[in-house]
Amino acid sequence: MSAVWRASRAAVKRRRLQTFVLGVVVLVSSAMAVATLGLLAAVSGPFDQAYSAARGAHVVAEFDSSKATAAQIVHAANAPEVEAVAGPYPEAVLHSPSETGDHPAGLPGSFTLVGRDRPDTPVDTLVLSAGRWATGPGEIVMNEPSYIGPMQIKSEHEVVTPDGVRLKIVGYAASASQSAGGWVTPDQARALHSASLQMMYRFRDAGSDAALKAGTAAATQGLPSDALTGTSTYLAIKANLAKGPNTYVPFLTVFGVLGLIVSVLIVGNVVSGAVVSGFRHIGVLKALGFTPNQVTAVYLVMVTFPAVIGCALGSVIGSLVGGKLVRQAFFGIFGSDLVLDRAAVPTWVHPVVLIGMPVLVALSALIPAMRARRLPAAVAISAGSVQQTGRGPMVQRRLGGSRLPRPVSLGLGWPFARPGRTALTLSTVVLGVMTVTMALGISASVVRFGQLQNQTDRIQVRIDLSDPQWNPPGPTHSDDQVFALLRSLPGTAHVSAQSALETRMTGSSAILRVGVESGDTAQLHPDLVRGRWIEGPNEVVVSSEFWHRHKVSLGDTITLDSSDGPQPQKIVGEIVGGWDVTTLDWHRFIPLSPVRRAQSFSVQLTKGTDPQAYAAAVARTDPGLNAAVNNASDTIEKVIISVVSTLTVMLIIVSGLGVFNTVVLNTRERRKDLGMLKSIGMTPRQVIAMVVTSVAALGAVGGIVGAPLGILAHRIIIPMTGRGTGLDLPDSLLHVWNWPTVALLAFSGSVIAVLGAYLPARGAAKAPVAEVLRTE
Amino acid sequence: MTNTDGYEEHDIVVQLTDVRKDFGDYAALDGVSLEIGAGESVAVMGPSGSGKSTLLNMVSGLDRPTSGSVLVGGEDLVGLSEKGLALFRRRRIGMIFQFFNLLDDLPALDNIALAGQLVGQKASTARKRASELMGELGIADRKDIHPASLSGGERQRVATARALMNRPALLLADEPTGALDSRSGDQVMQLLMDLNGLGQTLLIVTHDPRLAAQCARRVVEVADGRIARDRSVNHAVATKAAR
Ligand SMILES: Nc1ncnc2c1ncn2[C@@H]1O[C@H](COP(=O)(O)OP(=O)(O)O)[C@@H](O)[C@H]1O
Ligand SMILES: [Mg+2]
Repeated sequence: MSAVWRASRAAVKRRRLQTFVLGVVVLVSSAMAVATLGLLAAVSGPFDQAYSAARGAHVVAEFDSSKATAAQIVHAANAPEVEAVAGPYPEAVLHSPSETGDHPAGLPGSFTLVGRDRPDTPVDTLVLSAGRWATGPGEIVMNEPSYIGPMQIKSEHEVVTPDGVRLKIVGYAASASQSAGGWVTPDQARALHSASLQMMYRFRDAGSDAALKAGTAAATQGLPSDALTGTSTYLAIKANLAKGPNTYVPFLTVFGVLGLIVSVLIVGNVVSGAVVSGFRHIGVLKALGFTPNQVTAVYLVMVTFPAVIGCALGSVIGSLVGGKLVRQAFFGIFGSDLVLDRAAVPTWVHPVVLIGMPVLVALSALIPAMRARRLPAAVAISAGSVQQTGRGPMVQRRLGGSRLPRPVSLGLGWPFARPGRTALTLSTVVLGVMTVTMALGISASVVRFGQLQNQTDRIQVRIDLSDPQWNPPGPTHSDDQVFALLRSLPGTAHVSAQSALETRMTGSSAILRVGVESGDTAQLHPDLVRGRWIEGPNEVVVSSEFWHRHKVSLGDTITLDSSDGPQPQKIVGEIVGGWDVTTLDWHRFIPLSPVRRAQSFSVQLTKGTDPQAYAAAVARTDPGLNAAVNNASDTIEKVIISVVSTLTVMLIIVSGLGVFNTVVLNTRERRKDLGMLKSIGMTPRQVIAMVVTSVAALGAVGGIVGAPLGILAHRIIIPMTGRGTGLDLPDSLLHVWNWPTVALLAFSGSVIAVLGAYLPARGAAKAPVAEVLRTE
Repeated sequence: MTNTDGYEEHDIVVQLTDVRKDFGDYAALDGVSLEIGAGESVAVMGPSGSGKSTLLNMVSGLDRPTSGSVLVGGEDLVGLSEKGLALFRRRRIGMIFQFFNLLDDLPALDNIALAGQLVGQKASTARKRASELMGELGIADRKDIHPASLSGGERQRVATARALMNRPALLLADEPTGALDSRSGDQVMQLLMDLNGLGQTLLIVTHDPRLAAQCARRVVEVADGRIARDRSVNHAVATKAAR
């Protein structure tokens, strides 16, 4: 084996450039593979682990305590499907509670209180992050996700119910199941007019919605049919969390797969090139007494060596990038505190990539290496330069008679001399162009999505109102006065006001985010995916997320808690983003908002009005109005675009390296021809022209094939991303192409080819010729 | 100075003055001065490694001297750029190599026409002239044959035709018979002599004294990078002596 080792080491040394290209290509694709696998794993792995560790509830159910007793609920839960339960606990809902003490956290308008005697229950086990559990009347433990940061117990912090009952905050805990806004003792909950009971279940089979439905049915069998008033499942929490990574997974996967294919192509090309140019070397090895197996081994070791190094470095880079991406993907998502600590690239990814990539490289080297193995020694030693096969000669004859300058027509003939190499190079360029196209399409769609969400086309200025609790004294104008003020300013076309609040929907214990709007919403409302905008009372539009999570349709009625109690609302439309539910019922809902007034205003300006000047004018009238030009693009868009551009640049480099490698192989094989051409008077520039032409044609073909493929991939990826993130994306997101762009993209193949060819072409033009001409 | 055939030396094609060429510490050419007049036929002889090819590369501009001056056809090669050298080679010289250096993927005719196309001739013009040259060199029936299927002698004729495409002022040949059997070698040499008879200036490198004597009217002997001897030979006598 040591002879093989020595021969391969010599081969690596002789082919430093190609070894380097191989290493870089493998490095880039390993990094992409690690980052992609890491992200894919982060979508499912950490959540399930963390959720099990916290004994999170698979289903949180709410029962009407006038229809079923605690004893009945416990008895019914005694089903084989049920693994563990906690409860039932008395549950009360506070409408518009308030807080005392400075820097309050801001309570939702609708606040669920659960009477629970202990934190360490078998389901929804709570860990206190500060303080102690509520043990007596007038005490409350708040549910605070740990990503908010460490909480401190202060003597003056109290929650005040609408009836004026004061509850002192004695502790903070985080519930993975999102089972309550706060916890009190069971007696205290009953004293606050508890009308329902909360029961939490873990099931033996909790893998799907259907399993959860079946489990719930089994655990509530025998109870009056209308006793169960609402359920929420952990799959909703998980789906919500997965939305972050799901934004990236589809295109990372596609980029990753493309990267792998390109690597395989390039590795195959490098090795066949090495075998072809190494015919004599092979002959010498065989003459020296290397067995066919040893010859194959020499070539496999030769490529595996840079592959292993590239793969190791790529894994390190991939984990760093992947870890960052994972954190980025989960950032700011409800429940992300559960997974953030665990959401690194999982360890199993490394051995898989570290072994998988070199094996893949060795496999793609196997076919050409087998050719080296079969080659008879005598043929190998006497092999000349380019062989006469296929259409090469005929094409050359045609080209020789054409009107093209001779260097160009000679260059055009090169691809036909080595059809296999040409096919591999062409595929590399096709994939490169495809990537560029796809990346441009994704970026354009993402930008358009941002415009859609921010409504930059119809809202030019947004005005945020200072919150007096944080930035006293707040605006001096009331909402009506702000409306009047804005309408009186020159340049105002339409104005609307918005405020956000949290409430509950009958039949679900999950918190619902509601946006309430007033003013010229008929003109300023966001684009609808389905249905129409609100036209009458008790109508709402819902977000795509809500649409899919609750599986509703147009015309359905949902019941929302308002300050007047439950209100039936008809769903008349679906919008892409925004709040779960949007309503125009200002007076019923605004009391539930933390500030009890508008939080922001949106303004459409008349044509020709300078938004910058307008914003400044607004700010002058009232320092509590923070006016800004509406051109903000989301950070997520920036992240996606930067991720996509990074991957694209990587793939362009890789496919440029593919071309580079081919040109290096071609010019090495033809160095005698090049020397002769120079000796009969070919100028350096003509040499460059010839060499660049030899791949520019490939580049052109690659562009023409690759651009449509990229457009196709874009059409597949964008809806995939939409589904992964639970959004219904309007078709307009796909219509980002125009002819000049597509033409330019088709041309990008030639650019990749010329980039990859230029250096070796210049090298060939500069190479001294005296030496090569006198040796056979 | 007059050469043996009485040509006046007013047309000097090659003028090397004190040319040195170092490869690292090694002096491949160590102060060589040489003049070749129009219509001359000069053989450069010497043992292997003595600097013959290096000398030829100075004349063809394929390599540059470390010091000294090289004038060919009145042009100072030392002052020319790479492009200038390429244009010079195109117009002024034709080269023949030991190993032919033909393009394997072109048929014989196109290999020859190539040299014409490089100076901007139309394909049809170049092919027509190439075809004429092939007739003159006795390989008219090999036009569509690829180099791989030609004999060594035929390949060298194709290479010679290519070198003649642009009517060079100077024909350079480095061991043109080195890869040929003696019969083909003699034929190629005869061909070169015939060309010289038509007025073509020749500079031929060979280490075979028999061939040198057979075709050249002047023999320059090189040893250790210097010109050891420069003599004119009586052609008829030398040819007889060699036989
Ligand atoms: N490119 C080069 N680099 C280093 N040494 C060279 C190079 N070319 C020629 N030489 C050396 O210069 C000397 C003369 O070489 P050359 O002119 O080829 O000899 P020959 O008379 O056999 O044609 C030899 O010793 C050779 O090794
Ligand atoms: Mg020599």
